Amino acid sequence: MFQSAKKWKRLAVGALAAMFAVGALSGCGGGSSSGGSAGGNVKIEMVAKGFQHDFWKAVRMGAEQAGKELGADINFVGPDSESAVAQQVEMIKNAVNKHPAALCLAALDTKATLDVIGQAQQAKIPIIGFDSGVPGAPAGAIVANAATDNYAAGGIAAENMMKAIKGKVTQAQGAVRIGIVAQDSNSESIGQRTKGFVDKMIQLLEAEPALGTGSVAVVGHDKYANGKTDGKVIIEVRIPSEVSDNAGKTEAATLLNKPDLMAIYGSNEFSAKCIINANETLQKLGPDKVIAVGFDSGALQINAIKTGLFIGSVTQDPVQIGYQAVKLAVAAAKGEKVEDVDTGALWYDAKNMDDAKIKPCLYQ
Amino acid sequence: MEKGTQQAARPAWKKLLQSVGMQKLIVFLALIAIYVFFSIASEPFRSKETLVSIFDASYYIGFMAIGVTFVIITGGIDLSIGTLTICTALIGGTLHDTYGWPIGLCLLAVLAVGLFFGLLNGLMVSVLRLPSFIATLGTMMVTRGLGSIITKTQSVTYPLASDVDGWYRTFFRSPDNFPTGIVLLLVLAVIMAIVLNKTRPGRYILSLGSNREATRLSGVNVVKWECLAYVISGGFAALAGIAYAATYSTLMPGTGNGFELDAIAGVVIGGTSLAGGVGSVAGTLLGVFIMSTLKVGLPFIDLQPHYQLFITGLVLIAAVYIDVRNSRKRT
Repeated sequence: MFQSAKKWKRLAVGALAAMFAVGALSGCGGGSSSGGSAGGNVKIEMVAKGFQHDFWKAVRMGAEQAGKELGADINFVGPDSESAVAQQVEMIKNAVNKHPAALCLAALDTKATLDVIGQAQQAKIPIIGFDSGVPGAPAGAIVANAATDNYAAGGIAAENMMKAIKGKVTQAQGAVRIGIVAQDSNSESIGQRTKGFVDKMIQLLEAEPALGTGSVAVVGHDKYANGKTDGKVIIEVRIPSEVSDNAGKTEAATLLNKPDLMAIYGSNEFSAKCIINANETLQKLGPDKVIAVGFDSGALQINAIKTGLFIGSVTQDPVQIGYQAVKLAVAAAKGEKVEDVDTGALWYDAKNMDDAKIKPCLYQ
Repeated sequence: MEKGTQQAARPAWKKLLQSVGMQKLIVFLALIAIYVFFSIASEPFRSKETLVSIFDASYYIGFMAIGVTFVIITGGIDLSIGTLTICTALIGGTLHDTYGWPIGLCLLAVLAVGLFFGLLNGLMVSVLRLPSFIATLGTMMVTRGLGSIITKTQSVTYPLASDVDGWYRTFFRSPDNFPTGIVLLLVLAVIMAIVLNKTRPGRYILSLGSNREATRLSGVNVVKWECLAYVISGGFAALAGIAYAATYSTLMPGTGNGFELDAIAGVVIGGTSLAGGVGSVAGTLLGVFIMSTLKVGLPFIDLQPHYQLFITGLVLIAAVYIDVRNSRKRT
């Protein structure tokens, strides 16, 4: 594993060095900073983390839609896989060499792209981050980001779960439990989706007169536990010891085995899948049984929603990610002041999953 | 001459069997103790469903472990089985999803891919005389990369039990939730134990593991039989791939590394020596059940993930210590 990562890095460094030499030779006379005056349309280059995946197709669709509305020409490219760092660096370099009015970027590896980002800055090409953006980029290099606010998205999951369990949770005799399976404790986005869910759930539960302030205990993983062990509602966060199907499934099974479990949330595709796999023997999920809510999509999760095992899930909105990125890019190209945009998240269930607004956001 | 070697070998062989049997007994008792401990500590652990969970977790590790037992007995190692397991399943799933092959044909393709990479490993080690650690490390990367190439880095989902092509799942779980997979695992284990102990290929593999040169000089085609051990390992990795697909439905390219270590840990706990020449399939199976009972049981006593890893590591060290102590007594 390490060897192959190193190999890619070496390739990336080699490609960078070669391109830097070419750039130094050819780029000396380059003076035309912002492009797009001839045809009237601003030219925007977009470099994504992938190309073939449904998610990126949806991003592209949104970007082209915004391009049409705002009079911008979009050139959307992406590497063959999310490990093809060198290929992506080359794509970014090509994009910068075209002197577009703005560059939209979802970087695979920030360090590998630093040189190219520097060149874009020198050429005064504004860079907009989209999807996961360019995490850890030097201050000021990225003028704005169009990305999902995962904390708010976790809240959407909590709101919809609350709708389904409100009657039962307020009339419950004794304590009830809400389980959460989270993939790991280090990922920023998963952490936000979990924390957003927990905080929103506490807020909603404590607003119920039957429960009241201080009635919710958060137990399980240290990162989320609130110190209370007793309450009318216990939220239990479980994180598998390793990101493997077996470990995840076992954590989900221990939650499903608890007799006081009322609802369960999986904060990404992996966690939702683990809940579904654990349920296969336990058969605890269903509209009149344990209420389950997921995040993202994937064939297994979509099937679980169709068959009623899950009441629904939250998905990011890739169409909006593309749309907002281009909107920011056009504004930045005009020299307007831009700031980060939350591209939102959508709730989907068996009823609305084929809607025109939802369908492009889901992947198998 | 033949009579003479037999006479000299018999007492040592008897002693060996005795100590291997001892090790197996200890491991079996440890397995029972662990199961009883979790049953006392956690009420839901006592359920039939949890037992099925332990079986579910044992299928793919178990198949890999049975296969790699043969390689370890030769004194070699096969690090590629984890990623090969996932790679075979990814290829089978892609043939089904993208090319519309019927699932039966896909499963045959899975087996073919496993056997192919097993043969490749075998040829590299036995014919080209590459160190098995390095050769299979290479195959590990190759199979991991190949899985990503073939799937274009996208995940693959196998037909669900309710789908038309979902019949293959009954190998591992019947429609009324009986864990048929455990029967399959045990039957294959018995067959492979017979192959190892009662047939010529198995005896040659044991023999070349304890002394390759002596085995070669007594006229045995060591190249062929050593190669066979890797083919068995590859074939069982493919079976593990099918088990994995039937148990967890969705496979991600780029995963699978680390599985081989769980399998190898099971083999070693079961008393097979990493130095080669000694080993048993029954012991391997017991070792695998210890690993999976621990992995399924520890979350049930509400331990946080880092403690689970910590304890699994301690048990592994203790098991290997017992093995080393036993084998020291042997010599």
